[in-house]
Amino acid sequence: MGYFGELFVMAMTAIFIQNFVLSRFLGLCPYLGVSKKLDSALGMGMAVIFVMTLASAITFLINKYLLLQFGLMYLQTIAFILTIAALVQFVEMVIQKNAPALYKSLGVFLPLITTNCAVLGVAIINTTAFRSDGITPYNFLDSTLNGFFSGVGFTFVLLAMAGIRQRLEKVDLPKSMRGMPIALVLAGIMALAFYGFMGFKI
Amino acid sequence: MKYYIKLALILFIFCAVASGILAYVNTLTASVIAERKAQEEISTREELIPGAVFTEAKTADGTSYFVANNPETKEVLGYSFISEEIGYSSTLRTMVGVDKDFNVLAIRVIDQAETPGLGANCVLESFTHQFTGMNKDNLKVDKDGGAVKSLSGATITSRAIANSIRNSILAVQSELATGVSQ
Amino acid sequence: MSFIKELSKGIIKDNPTFVLVLGMCPTLAVTTSVVNALGMGLAATFVLICSNIIISLIKNITPSKIRIPVYIVVIAAFVSIVDMVMSAYLPALHKSLGLFIPLIVVNCIILGRAEAFASKNNVFLSIADAIGMGLGFTLSLSVVATIREILGAGTWLGMRVVASNYDPMLIAILAPGAFITLGFLMALMNMLKEKK
Repeated sequence: MGYFGELFVMAMTAIFIQNFVLSRFLGLCPYLGVSKKLDSALGMGMAVIFVMTLASAITFLINKYLLLQFGLMYLQTIAFILTIAALVQFVEMVIQKNAPALYKSLGVFLPLITTNCAVLGVAIINTTAFRSDGITPYNFLDSTLNGFFSGVGFTFVLLAMAGIRQRLEKVDLPKSMRGMPIALVLAGIMALAFYGFMGFKI
Repeated sequence: MKYYIKLALILFIFCAVASGILAYVNTLTASVIAERKAQEEISTREELIPGAVFTEAKTADGTSYFVANNPETKEVLGYSFISEEIGYSSTLRTMVGVDKDFNVLAIRVIDQAETPGLGANCVLESFTHQFTGMNKDNLKVDKDGGAVKSLSGATITSRAIANSIRNSILAVQSELATGVSQ
Repeated sequence: MSFIKELSKGIIKDNPTFVLVLGMCPTLAVTTSVVNALGMGLAATFVLICSNIIISLIKNITPSKIRIPVYIVVIAAFVSIVDMVMSAYLPALHKSLGLFIPLIVVNCIILGRAEAFASKNNVFLSIADAIGMGLGFTLSLSVVATIREILGAGTWLGMRVVASNYDPMLIAILAPGAFITLGFLMALMNMLKEKK
């Protein structure tokens, strides 16, 4: 299997088989909080893909050339979260200055991403992940792409959820089920559907 | 500008203090972690092949295995080793005890983080006891034509365990065979 | 008196999980068994108490511009300590909570309480707030885990509680069960509130 096949496996795993939200339980706060409207869900999704890709790349370098090099693994949590916080801040400033239109649509979501556990989650998962042969650890490109695909997986279910919830507003639900409870039950049914992908070994 | 330098300095001091504290806690806990792990492996090994004394040996590719001897007669009772393989969502580490003809005496899954309710059931006695008496020829899951009955909904986990044990047996066996011929 | 008030509000009235809807990831991910839920709840409570104390103490010397990074450093330090201590003394629990221990850092409850409470109040009240919120979080996790473990495995805290011929409803312990259980629990909370 060439590198292209490897990428295909990685993408399918991150998006369907081990979806970040529905199977790994990461990034639930934005998944439940920003899925009321389709356009805001799209904005959030794009911001997450962007930050997750960048964060995966940078934390990989920090892990390999700083933490592992000097035996500082116990500082991993603190180093990663500070990197992500600084990165988000930096991205916010750059976008604000150079792409005001983009900032208008993504800006409000960026500060929320620091505490999105999917970003820190993918950074930590990358440090212990292996390619499909089970021996080769992820290299720089693998980690970055895994971050990207995981972000796509997140956006995918976020959009699906937002689409359903928008229609749900017209449904006459029992009062106590409205809002968060029905969203959670919906997420449960979606997770059940995603279990159909489990066990696929490409 | 001066203001920003001050901010950076304050943040740096916080980071430095935090790193210092963590380094100290790390020196306290690192040895405990290593010691506990080693202790656990020793006691598990003794449970798998009771009443034997173990001596460590290494295969050509560097993985270590243990030879179990009868403490009085010094005759070889069997071998013990740790098999590793990636399962569904974690690396599975299984400690295996085999007799001198490489029939499995007992196994114990010592490290796993598989899906709770499915793959995580591989640590249960009800799954592991079926391995007793198996050998390299039938150490496969039922779907692959072997004798290992898979956990329901966790074929990947079951297959990883069965395959890792078979591979380890083959590795140690071929190692011993070349050792004899030398 | 106010100590008791700050302590008790987190448990029911401002329950972080059911009312404030914070910290969803661990609530769903680690509630496969009551042991895991208690472990996660107590670990988060410990971090919450420690970080609230420190943040309340340093609130006057941290410039407001960099307060969030400073809070994150404080919280991350305590999370790493919990991580290492757990790995040394409670290895089985550490393994089954796995990734979710370092992720306590981004648990919105902890940063949220630091920002909303500890940075504005004295140490004494901050401790009360942290204990209350921590216990409220632990309690909610335990409730969800109790339902999931009894339905999905027929046990509670590892002890068998239903007849041995009960065929466990596996879905309760898997991911979909987590969402659905929490959804219905929240609906129940809403119903009780309406009745009042």
